[in-house]
Amino acid sequence: MSSLFDDYQPGSFFDEMFDSPAHAREHYSGITGSIGTLSPAEYAARQRTADAVFLRQGVTFTVYGDTQGTERIFPFDLMPRIIPRKEWERVEAGLIQRITALNLFLNDVYHSQHILNDKTLPAELVLSASHFRPEFMGVKVPHGIYIHICGTDLVRDDKGEYFVLEDNGRCPSGASYMLENRNAMKRTFPGLLQSLPVRPVDAYGSMLRETLAHLAPPGVIDPNIVVLTPGVYNSAYFEHCYLAKQMGVPIVEGRDLLLKNGRVFMRTTAGLQQVHVIYRRIDDDFLDPLVFRKDSLLGVPGIVSAYQQGHVALANSIGTGVADDKAVYALVPKMIKYYLDQDPILPNVPTYLGIEPKECDHILANLDKLVVKAVNESGGYGMLMGPHSTKEEQAEFAKRIAANPRNYIAQPVLQLSRHPVFVDDHFEGRHIDLRPYVLYGDRVRVVPGGLTRVALKKGSLVVNSSQGGGSKDTWVLWDDE
Amino acid sequence: MLSRVADSIYWMARYMERAENLARLLLSTQDLLLDAGAEAADESQFWGPILMTTGDEDAYYAAHPVIDGDTAAHFLALSQKNGNSILNCVRSARENARTIRDQLSDELWECINSLRLFLESPEAAEMHKSQTAAFYEKVLLASYQFQGIAASTTPRDESWHFLRLGLCIERADKTSRLIDTCSAISLEMPPSPLARPLRWAALLRSCSAWHAFQAYSSNKLDPVKIIEYLLLDPTFPRSVAWCVEQLNRTLVALCGNGRLDEMKAPVRVSGRLLAHITYLTMKEVLKEGLHEYIDRLQEMLNDVGQTIFETFVLYSDVLTPEQELSTAAPAIIPGAFHTILSSDIQMQQQQQQ
Repeated sequence: MSSLFDDYQPGSFFDEMFDSPAHAREHYSGITGSIGTLSPAEYAARQRTADAVFLRQGVTFTVYGDTQGTERIFPFDLMPRIIPRKEWERVEAGLIQRITALNLFLNDVYHSQHILNDKTLPAELVLSASHFRPEFMGVKVPHGIYIHICGTDLVRDDKGEYFVLEDNGRCPSGASYMLENRNAMKRTFPGLLQSLPVRPVDAYGSMLRETLAHLAPPGVIDPNIVVLTPGVYNSAYFEHCYLAKQMGVPIVEGRDLLLKNGRVFMRTTAGLQQVHVIYRRIDDDFLDPLVFRKDSLLGVPGIVSAYQQGHVALANSIGTGVADDKAVYALVPKMIKYYLDQDPILPNVPTYLGIEPKECDHILANLDKLVVKAVNESGGYGMLMGPHSTKEEQAEFAKRIAANPRNYIAQPVLQLSRHPVFVDDHFEGRHIDLRPYVLYGDRVRVVPGGLTRVALKKGSLVVNSSQGGGSKDTWVLWDDE
Repeated sequence: MLSRVADSIYWMARYMERAENLARLLLSTQDLLLDAGAEAADESQFWGPILMTTGDEDAYYAAHPVIDGDTAAHFLALSQKNGNSILNCVRSARENARTIRDQLSDELWECINSLRLFLESPEAAEMHKSQTAAFYEKVLLASYQFQGIAASTTPRDESWHFLRLGLCIERADKTSRLIDTCSAISLEMPPSPLARPLRWAALLRSCSAWHAFQAYSSNKLDPVKIIEYLLLDPTFPRSVAWCVEQLNRTLVALCGNGRLDEMKAPVRVSGRLLAHITYLTMKEVLKEGLHEYIDRLQEMLNDVGQTIFETFVLYSDVLTPEQELSTAAPAIIPGAFHTILSSDIQMQQQQQQ
């Protein structure tokens, strides 16, 4: 019998679904039989239905630099990515290990700095991270937790080995798309989800709420939790609203909050109401014009002082960006060893630091082969993709690196794993990554799966939504089939 | 409920109601033109008053030198340039809804978002051109759907009350404006045995009151009776009196009735207006002059709106004297206010990770 996947070419990459042409991996066998029997037209019709639902529901992000304020749907590919149980268990253990070490590191850096004093990590590198907040030295944060919500980016190489690409310990986004993608699959392929032992993800809202409630000041039994958004023009505004709704808590802007007697209140129709826990989606710099950027129009004057005094909790804490610095990222395996006396379960991508003279020479000599990244950029910006770059671009980066080596790192180009994606009327392989969501409250919780992002452009390795990326539903199975 | 959220719910409801009223007015005008025969040749005498009612005369003449039917209809329905067009009303309603979509049922949000997607589509422009009546009916239907979903999915808490407030104030305002315009032109027009009753019938239709009025009055199309019905009837859900009664009832539900010395300003102001309109007679209205009276009525309605804003949106500032704040809090601007945020704020909102 002919199948939609007959002509699919896995190519020379690690393909998540096919280990050789026309031979699907065991954990995909449940869906090749069903989706494979659809005609291209039938499959395309389902894809259109899913797209229309996203648009009608306004599951969109705002495209910047567009005066119309155009909202786009985050392109969604119906073909799910499947992770077998054993594989996931290892990933999950690796993520828990990593967030535990990162929180121990942040608590150490903002207090006694043992790891720097005994020269395990170079102090000048760590303390020069631009998101290090000296204002927070010695400040006690609730339960010593700094990163409550983490969205670690994982990739697989050409052998299928998992690597951590980034930790995203500030304000990771995308959890709402993970939830909406699953809803879309439920509507489009209900029978399929029913027939396979797919672990649900819809508890994310209540898990997030429990994680946040854990931070409430002592003695507050039923804390008032809010989501603090930059506002409706932020590209992730949909997500902020969505998560607030999932948790059943208000979404507020800076102008809805004010300080009174050192405590934070929101303006309501019945007067002022105290706020105990704030899930903030505003960067440190804009949080409080009295402490950080004075020109911030989004922040709440005095909120940092209320946090320092323990009257209100913030998630994530202030200053977690020091661990997000791409040069500090390279040191995480050492942190794991130092604090936990363990080897990393999930390895880092090999990383060359611009600040190390020898490694810097290596970077400069191999600009045409490496991926060069500025340490504080995200969203796929500030990057040089060596093999796809022009001589001029390489020269430009060489100049920048020489001027400020601390600000750059480089990594080998990973041949990211690929997954079948529906293009026009057939399937083609596209590179993907995985962003699982890790919550650190009274215990560490990991949502099974996460957001699989897809580089929709043929041959592209960049999965970011701002750069033409899309996403897929991610199915973690209870049992290996 | 957050003051800002209350404000957005209120304006979302107002803009939806505004779009609905405009669609109905345009539909009834179209019918009127079909019935008016030769008299309809002078289109400006039909469209001019409508632009007056919606307050868009200046905006129209700024863009177009003369009134012709198609241009005016397009200007009122789908023009991007007309801030009060159906398209822009729905967009404003939708933008308000978007800021508070966590407060709305999914069904309600999807209803309002679908209407906006339709109005922005090429299909809508085509439909307005070739099947104009069907276009307006589609907008009306979407608005009824909005009301129905709101009624069946909104908890009867503050969300509901602020929805009602927005709807009732907007509706009272529009009904009174329609009465004003229709009576003005009908008196000024050359006596035409045919056109006059048609205009009054169109007024009833633009308030969805045709059938209700037929059942109510044996004196068909007596202008005074029609005005009385639309202004003072306590049972018809688009009359000014009905809207005022609902406003007062909603404000009592929000504030409580309380003792006289504790009575909140919105209850007092709306109660006063309710007493006024409940005991008003048409004789008194005509003695004052219909146009003069309606001006005064609109002022009273504006007072209620202003009091609502001051009480519920500025309330927390009143409770919190300035000197206790760590710094001066930014002033809150009424009404769909995020749409007029400075470009600096927009830029900073976009900069966040």
